[in-house]
Amino acid sequence: MAIVKDKVGVVSCSGEDLPEGTISRIATRIVLEKLRPNDTVTICLPLFLAGSEDERAFARVFPTIAIDGCDKRCAEVGTKKYSGKPVATIVVSEIMQKYPYLKAKSRGKLSAKEKELALKVAEEIAAKVDEVLERKKRGDSN
Amino acid sequence: MSEEQKVAIIACAGMDKSLGSVARACAFKVVEELRSEGSVLVCIPPLVAGVKPHSEWIKEYPIITIDGCSERCATKIVARIGGKIRGRVFIPQSVQKHGLKPKASADIGPEGEELAEKIADETALLVDKILRK
Repeated sequence: MAIVKDKVGVVSCSGEDLPEGTISRIATRIVLEKLRPNDTVTICLPLFLAGSEDERAFARVFPTIAIDGCDKRCAEVGTKKYSGKPVATIVVSEIMQKYPYLKAKSRGKLSAKEKELALKVAEEIAAKVDEVLERKKRGDSN
Repeated sequence: MSEEQKVAIIACAGMDKSLGSVARACAFKVVEELRSEGSVLVCIPPLVAGVKPHSEWIKEYPIITIDGCSERCATKIVARIGGKIRGRVFIPQSVQKHGLKPKASADIGPEGEELAEKIADETALLVDKILRK
């Protein structure tokens, strides 16, 4: 019998409007590929918003964390509107306040400092993933 | 130049495929470098969330959609909102045409960059064509 492992969906804003969106996107990939590859999956936000039932069903069933570049919180708003409320939202511009020496300037390729910032954000996402899975294991629905 | 002074560029920017990242890189190249005066970049999440100016640009300007896969999310979303699509770019077709393969979603690599540049050049010509009409 196959055992279905609990996963957390990570929905990142696709971030074309601001450099913080690029950070959210890269940070999400770091979590998916390096920090928590076995515990996370991503939901493609454009596909989700375009109406893919598979993507929307996932967010209804599994806990989802929205990663937003700025306080417009488009990933959170979209997830809430079409599926279910994310269990948590991480806003890059808020995390950046903790690291004033790390600025996001580019919407395209990241500089060394921007990569460092993306890693800091990724670590916060990974910690949140652990917290969500731990809560789920304890049977805490919130 | 016609009364339509700008073209709105909407790229899928999907995260789970490298071609979404190529679509994104291509859109940046057009709006930031090649046709910075003649184009604006509309970002899908704020567009769907109704955030200005994205929700206004979609009504105001002719649109070029750039899709990274056969789901064609950018085109579907614009069509649903009622935007006027005047040009469409389909990245998988460009991959075949140019024979260049991007590396990964987080880093499209040198071939992906070259591919994005080639598609951006073609998209810029599409912008010119729309603005001349």
